[in-house]
Amino acid sequence: MLHINMRVQGFAIGLLWSLGAAAQPAHAAQAVATAPTAPAASDRQDLSVTIYADDLALVQDHRTIDLTGGKQRVEFQNVSAQIRAETVSLAAKDALTIVEQNFDFDLLTPAKLMEKAVGHEVTIVRTSPGTGAETREKALVLATNGGVVLKIGDHIEVLRDDGMPARVIFDKVPDNLRAHPTLSVTVNGARSGPVPATLSYLTPGLGWRADYVALFDEATAKIDVQGWITLTNSSGTTYDNAKTLLVAGSPNVSGGATDGGGRPYMRQPRPTLQQAGTESGSRERLGDYYLYPLAERTTIANLQTKQVSFLDVHGVPAEHGYEFRNQWLGTSNTPLSARTVYSFTTSSHAGLGDQLPAGILRFYMRDKRGDPQFIGESRIDHTPMGSKLSLSTGDAFDVKVQSTVEKRSRLGYDHWQSDMRYVVSNALPKPVTVSVLQAGLWGDTTIKSESQKSSRRSAEEAEWVVTVPANGSVTLTASFQTRF
Amino acid sequence: MRRLLYACLPLVAALAPLSAAAGDGNAPAKTVRAGAVTDLAVTVYRSPYGVSESLDLDQLGGFALVTETRTVSIPAGESRIRFEGVADGIQPASAIITGLPTGVLEKNHDAQVLSPSALVKATVGRSVWLVRTDRKTGKETDIQGTLVSDSEGVVFQSAAGEIEALRCSGLPEAFHFDPATDAPATPTLSALVRSPTPATATIRLSYLALGFDWMANYVATISPDGSSIDLGAWVTLGNSNSVSFPDAHAQVVAGRLNRESEQVEPVDPGTEILAQCWPRGSTSDSPDEPHIVGARPYGFDSVLVTASRKAMAPMPMADMALQEVMVTGARAQQEQLGDLKLYRVPWRTSVTSRQIKQVRMLDQQAIPVKLIYHADLSADDELESTPLRKILRTRNDRAHHLGLPLPAGRVATFYEREGVPLLVNEAPLRDVAVDEEFEIDVGEAPDVRINAETADRAVDPKKLKRLRLSSRVVVRSSEVDEVHVIQVTNARSASAFVELSVLVPDGATIVEADHVPGTRNGHPTFSLTVPAEGTALIQFRTQEIEDRPEDP
Repeated sequence: MLHINMRVQGFAIGLLWSLGAAAQPAHAAQAVATAPTAPAASDRQDLSVTIYADDLALVQDHRTIDLTGGKQRVEFQNVSAQIRAETVSLAAKDALTIVEQNFDFDLLTPAKLMEKAVGHEVTIVRTSPGTGAETREKALVLATNGGVVLKIGDHIEVLRDDGMPARVIFDKVPDNLRAHPTLSVTVNGARSGPVPATLSYLTPGLGWRADYVALFDEATAKIDVQGWITLTNSSGTTYDNAKTLLVAGSPNVSGGATDGGGRPYMRQPRPTLQQAGTESGSRERLGDYYLYPLAERTTIANLQTKQVSFLDVHGVPAEHGYEFRNQWLGTSNTPLSARTVYSFTTSSHAGLGDQLPAGILRFYMRDKRGDPQFIGESRIDHTPMGSKLSLSTGDAFDVKVQSTVEKRSRLGYDHWQSDMRYVVSNALPKPVTVSVLQAGLWGDTTIKSESQKSSRRSAEEAEWVVTVPANGSVTLTASFQTRF
Repeated sequence: MRRLLYACLPLVAALAPLSAAAGDGNAPAKTVRAGAVTDLAVTVYRSPYGVSESLDLDQLGGFALVTETRTVSIPAGESRIRFEGVADGIQPASAIITGLPTGVLEKNHDAQVLSPSALVKATVGRSVWLVRTDRKTGKETDIQGTLVSDSEGVVFQSAAGEIEALRCSGLPEAFHFDPATDAPATPTLSALVRSPTPATATIRLSYLALGFDWMANYVATISPDGSSIDLGAWVTLGNSNSVSFPDAHAQVVAGRLNRESEQVEPVDPGTEILAQCWPRGSTSDSPDEPHIVGARPYGFDSVLVTASRKAMAPMPMADMALQEVMVTGARAQQEQLGDLKLYRVPWRTSVTSRQIKQVRMLDQQAIPVKLIYHADLSADDELESTPLRKILRTRNDRAHHLGLPLPAGRVATFYEREGVPLLVNEAPLRDVAVDEEFEIDVGEAPDVRINAETADRAVDPKKLKRLRLSSRVVVRSSEVDEVHVIQVTNARSASAFVELSVLVPDGATIVEADHVPGTRNGHPTFSLTVPAEGTALIQFRTQEIEDRPEDP
């Protein structure tokens, strides 16, 4: 009965606490609870977050500080837990000057509490296991190295040497120990009373990229593309009701390891941007970066992945093709799949008509029942408007190329001939066109003879566009003369 | 009185810093739960990193596209539709929601989940009850106070101002919490929508999820005379998610899809609540080496994120005993999906949590095969009694009783002995398109072996050339002639068809041979039949021009 009474009372207190906190913000109440010396808290008015694409964000936190006039310490709760303290700046027009800024990592832990009590008195409460009776004693903490040595009265003891229950009661929390890493700024106020101030800082842990959904219609060779901005927050803090701006592009942060870019299982890197666009479009820009402001304020919760739509285009013509790139002297005992490639433009004319921030484009296609099925994805880089993109979704099951070095002949010192054969096979019931690329030509390689006219895409690569009949195959041969 | 107070609790929760109030803040979004799943489709894709030996539920490298149909009633104004029971391996960025009368303002995936540590974290700075139980009498004492810190242990300040650490006293202690967090039990996917009028809609949610994989498992039974095989295959698919997909349209897709990695969405790493106190040495301890613990930066350890999937999918009884294999009758139907192959299970089936399921894919009888004893060797190889590999070669066409796509997987080959199948070998198989020649590896042949050696190596002094490239560099060009001998021995009671592919050095050619070599995949290849309990000898001569800089 006693139990229930106390619980009800507990909720009542909790409620009053919260209602009290409603009058002033909750974090102000926290500040009082964790820091007994009660420095001035700051009260958040507005929050704006600018997120760059490479795990970096600029937070601008508009707060009201209650100045006392003269030197005082102001604490900021609810800042990013990963704040880069060296980038903090506090600005309040003509109202204050900064004396010093501290970011305290000294966390309040039981061990720290004991460590800081060395040389101070604590209360030891022993509970008798037999009777449950409590006895209290004052003790002086002498040392905490691998065990706590206490001086009780005129004798020395080790805490819980006997393994019997003993509680240690401290009467205060040391000033500089806090539950969370805390930013505090010591300022010199020019006047007293509340003043608006802006705290800005950089923090990792917030990032964004784009995710695209493309539905390819085989019958009409058109795609519908939706673009989503994907925001992720692992900074350890929630940003409530924030004005959010995304910047496509990442400022140079020197020295840091910014490139997380491993792209495993790319058998060969292949260029996706075939031609960079030259159209400017109507998106907002800042310098060379495109800006994507979110239309509405949003709450970016800690550990949240948030997506907001920014692009929705229908019926863009797309070309479906195949591509096979052979390395220099590449020869295989089994046919290898050609890559399935979809190409389209981001032009305002017969294209997506927008800049595309870097991200992943996922392709879908309808199955025989009409349900969309996933058919592969490809990464795209920041892409200007008017660009031609050629994206590979994976390997074609039925379209394969077997390349063979038929003969290598030494024509003389530094003079070789390589006879290549490429068998392009198609197990589909319709003809296909495959772009067969031979890489590794290093400029001065010449093609002496070939069964079909090639075009030299670059000094490095030759391309044959091979049309393969339904359920058939085509043999392509070429002889290269090289210095190697 | 008590009920009234409980009724006020949502107000308390709304003030908690964790509560996710979105939108303009004036009218908080109402949370509505999407209705139960009325239709479900699961398409399983193979791991893009190759086919593994078998499906191990603890490390499935593939993924699936899950499509759910649900009904939802949304009120006028802003509302947050919460989807419950999605796969725990969900890749939130891939979620697509269609069928809503209005557009989606935001899609959110919240990884912050309710856990003991989340509860403690949310309670820091708030009121809490510390309950002590007397071990002797069982009597509970409740102390009201505030949770001051949760770093590496919990520090508590009683209402009377006494500061203590939790669980350092040796007394049984527990906390009773106020509901300070509305974190859900599992990561949650939600969509924020705004509708001018209340509406009921049938919506489809589709997303990609990890923790799935499939492979084709072939069984090839070799006929007694070795001239043909019967080939049967299963689609084996596995789901290691803790979520089941009952009564679903199930499909698998064959072919390799591009997948981009480094898709790191935040996950709640969760932490143990350490009841760590001050050093707990006693006078009976042997002295410890003093050590200095390095400073640890605060914040989420990004390394933790990579191990996320396992952490996200807590499988309390992830025990081999729970792996279940289901075998179903009838056959999966194949259709073309772009450049991939889709196999549809023609009836609704359940893709259950932690289950391996098998569906029949094909059964083809009497496929003519050619048994070949094969080796790939270099002309310079010195081999001493090396067994050849046995392969079964055939073509995937109608003439060979095939002519249907064979997705990658593993082939187990059996001989039948007195009606009892005997496993001979197990080997991987690549994706084989229609009309392609392919081979099944049947393992080593201990009875058919080769010896190889270089019998002679000569340089013709008359054909030596000196090339002056510059005043300093002179290259000596010489013609090298080598004679190689390969001996094949057959200890079987039947003749063996042997195929030896010889890799010659760059620019070298076979100028003379006592068996005429053909060409296979660009390499000179000797094909011959070695009689039962017999021996065959192959001699060939290669010629090559060697360029060597001369010492000045």
